[in-house]
Amino acid sequence: MKKYLHIYKVTILDNIQYVSNIVLRILSFAIIIFVLFNLWKYMYSDQETINGYSKSQILWYVLITEGIWFGVRNKNFTNEISDSIKSGNIAYSINKPYNYVSYLIVKNLGDITIKSLVFVLVVSTIGTIFIGRLKFTILQIPFVLIALIFSALIFSIIDISISLISFWIEDAMPFHWVFDKLVLIFGTIIPIEMFPNSIKTIFSFFPTYPIMYGPAKIIIDFNFNIFCKIFLVQGIYLICTIIIMNLLYKEGVKKVNVNGG
Amino acid sequence: MLMEVKKQIKISLLSIKYSIMMQMLNKVTFITNVIFMILNNASFIIQWMVLFNIKDNVGGLSFKQVILLWGIASGTYGIAHLFFEEAFNLSKLIVNGKLDSFIVQPKNVLISVVTSRSKISALGDLIYGYIVLLFYGITIKRFIIFTFVNICGGIIIAEISIIYNSFCFWFVKADILGDTINNTMLNFATYPETIFKKSVKLILYTIIPVGFSTYMPFKLMLKFGIREFFLLIISVLIISLLTFGIFNKGLKKYSSSNLMVSRI
Repeated sequence: MKKYLHIYKVTILDNIQYVSNIVLRILSFAIIIFVLFNLWKYMYSDQETINGYSKSQILWYVLITEGIWFGVRNKNFTNEISDSIKSGNIAYSINKPYNYVSYLIVKNLGDITIKSLVFVLVVSTIGTIFIGRLKFTILQIPFVLIALIFSALIFSIIDISISLISFWIEDAMPFHWVFDKLVLIFGTIIPIEMFPNSIKTIFSFFPTYPIMYGPAKIIIDFNFNIFCKIFLVQGIYLICTIIIMNLLYKEGVKKVNVNGG
Repeated sequence: MLMEVKKQIKISLLSIKYSIMMQMLNKVTFITNVIFMILNNASFIIQWMVLFNIKDNVGGLSFKQVILLWGIASGTYGIAHLFFEEAFNLSKLIVNGKLDSFIVQPKNVLISVVTSRSKISALGDLIYGYIVLLFYGITIKRFIIFTFVNICGGIIIAEISIIYNSFCFWFVKADILGDTINNTMLNFATYPETIFKKSVKLILYTIIPVGFSTYMPFKLMLKFGIREFFLLIISVLIISLLTFGIFNKGLKKYSSSNLMVSRI
């Protein structure tokens, strides 16, 4: 456990050196938020509430889910995993005295920690200035933190698992595209309540429920029952994704062919 | 002069052809890239279905029209990345001093650079554009206009990327600017122009000229007019002149890194 904590600490320190890179991401985030705010403002131009969401609630929802997306997603890292499998460089990582997949999770969490904290600040600032204060009490903080940490963990594990597909198919990028769009459409831009009833049930089984919808719902419309339900779904998802990731690695690593040199 | 242009086009098309052929060597990767890109784009139909369930029009456009807008955004993006992929990586080539192998060729440097590589997933974007046209209602006239506006839009997208990336000749950190503008153009292109205020529209026809690359082609598809047709051609010509002007001016500032590069 100590070595993983050390990896986490070193990765965070490494990322502090490149904190200026986050500025670009904040700019991209602000532009996307601007477009989505315009879209939702247009949708609310002739109605007060849509499917139980007021205008300020939906704007906060979009802001939070996009914030999670920008804070937790680590495209460069997941590309690195695929590249190291393709090039055979993975051979240098799997013979180290640690569990490779645990190392990947810890390193990814180290990568996103600073970024996520910055986005918490950015989201709160943009929201407070452009939407108005959110009904939020200090008592909610522990529940929100739990939901966000679980969300980051599940997102990381799924992304790493998709990259591990490179053991079989050289380029895992197309699978990342589809997963990304699944997350964006089913829960980031539009909350579950806006979907037709037939899709709502299917949506509850999608990874976007524990990753995006859950934490955002706990922040904008907290009640303990909702938290328990989301926590349960996140727990189940975490266990299932860990099992799938380990299986993918166990089977995939057998396919590694190193040509020396 | 005309012979020179003809030769340049022939060489550029050959370069693109070989780049595509090279990427087709791994068939599984090629097929997954193309098919998944089509699926990737198609997934946004669900988003618009839900939004149109809430309101019967978005920015005054019907569902079919919004999907057509998406088709044009996808088609223009496909053309830009399939034929001019290096326009989006130009900053890296400039900063790392990798333009040497192009400068020594007896052909136009900018065209040789931008057509030297293709992004194979962009083929999926282009195909998706035509699938959308099928859904919208295909006729010979629409097919011709769609192809024409896609080519114009694709050229504009690539040229805007070249302009912003060319700033790297003067400032190393300008690559950030190029990446941001490319992403921004894509974000705006997939939403109706009419949901934005007039002040924003000014930006969309100047600093982030998505108005020329997507909104004008879209209007031309909805209602073809000679005035709009020539306006689009003039826009392409002006932006092209600006692109070549800025790149050639910047090229004089270029310094080689003495890197040994072989182009295969």
